[in-house]
Amino acid sequence: MAETFISLILSNKLSELDALTRGLEQFGAAAGLSTKCIFELSLAMEELFSNIVAHGYPENTDHWIRIHISRKQEMLIIRLEDEGVPFDPNLADIPDISCSVENRKIGGLGVHLIKHLMNDIVYKRCGNRNILILKKFLAAS
Amino acid sequence: MEIIEQKHDKYYFFKLNGRLDSNTSLGFEKKLFEAIKDGSTRMVIDFEDLDYISSAGLRVILKATKDLKRSEGTLILCSMQDYVKEVFEISGFDTFLPIVASRTEAISRVSG
Repeated sequence: MAETFISLILSNKLSELDALTRGLEQFGAAAGLSTKCIFELSLAMEELFSNIVAHGYPENTDHWIRIHISRKQEMLIIRLEDEGVPFDPNLADIPDISCSVENRKIGGLGVHLIKHLMNDIVYKRCGNRNILILKKFLAAS
Repeated sequence: MEIIEQKHDKYYFFKLNGRLDSNTSLGFEKKLFEAIKDGSTRMVIDFEDLDYISSAGLRVILKATKDLKRSEGTLILCSMQDYVKEVFEISGFDTFLPIVASRTEAISRVSG
């Protein structure tokens, strides 16, 4: 079966978010994803990307973020690579989402959303690079 | 993203069009907090034409909710698309924020 994929190389700037969104919409159309699935993919990717932009490079220097997404039958496989500070979303604090609004913390929601939207998240640190492999089952969404 | 604003006697009304993401949420935050600073405590945000929201957008809504709570104000959201509503539910925001089906319902609640 044919494999549809997209490769993006983005700079660690929020202004690249539009390019990411456009890329994902084109990929979604080519891969035959539902509108809901494209929405969820966009959301997870924005959270990952904006996390790297905000926290990956405390010294504020320019770097590349590499993204590869492919559809293999009923599964999306996302590979995200950056050279920022080590960050494993699996180990990140999850906000308490059942507490009162007064006690709700602003922040931490991004990782919570990523975990909800993806079925599998594997993190590896290879040299100075973070490598994240995420899987999303299409039947599940 | 387009932001339409209307100042009414009893409430302040926003209508969002497009995507509320890491890029656009800052502009919306500015407008929302300008209205709060101006003394508006009862707000309606119409999501009918909003196609997308990320945690950056949720953060603005949470900040405003906390702020309005302190001044005994109200924030009501209405006419949300299903995917957008799901993001509020996953995040648990539906437990403290009134999300109603229509603009008419939101306005009647906020003016009552």
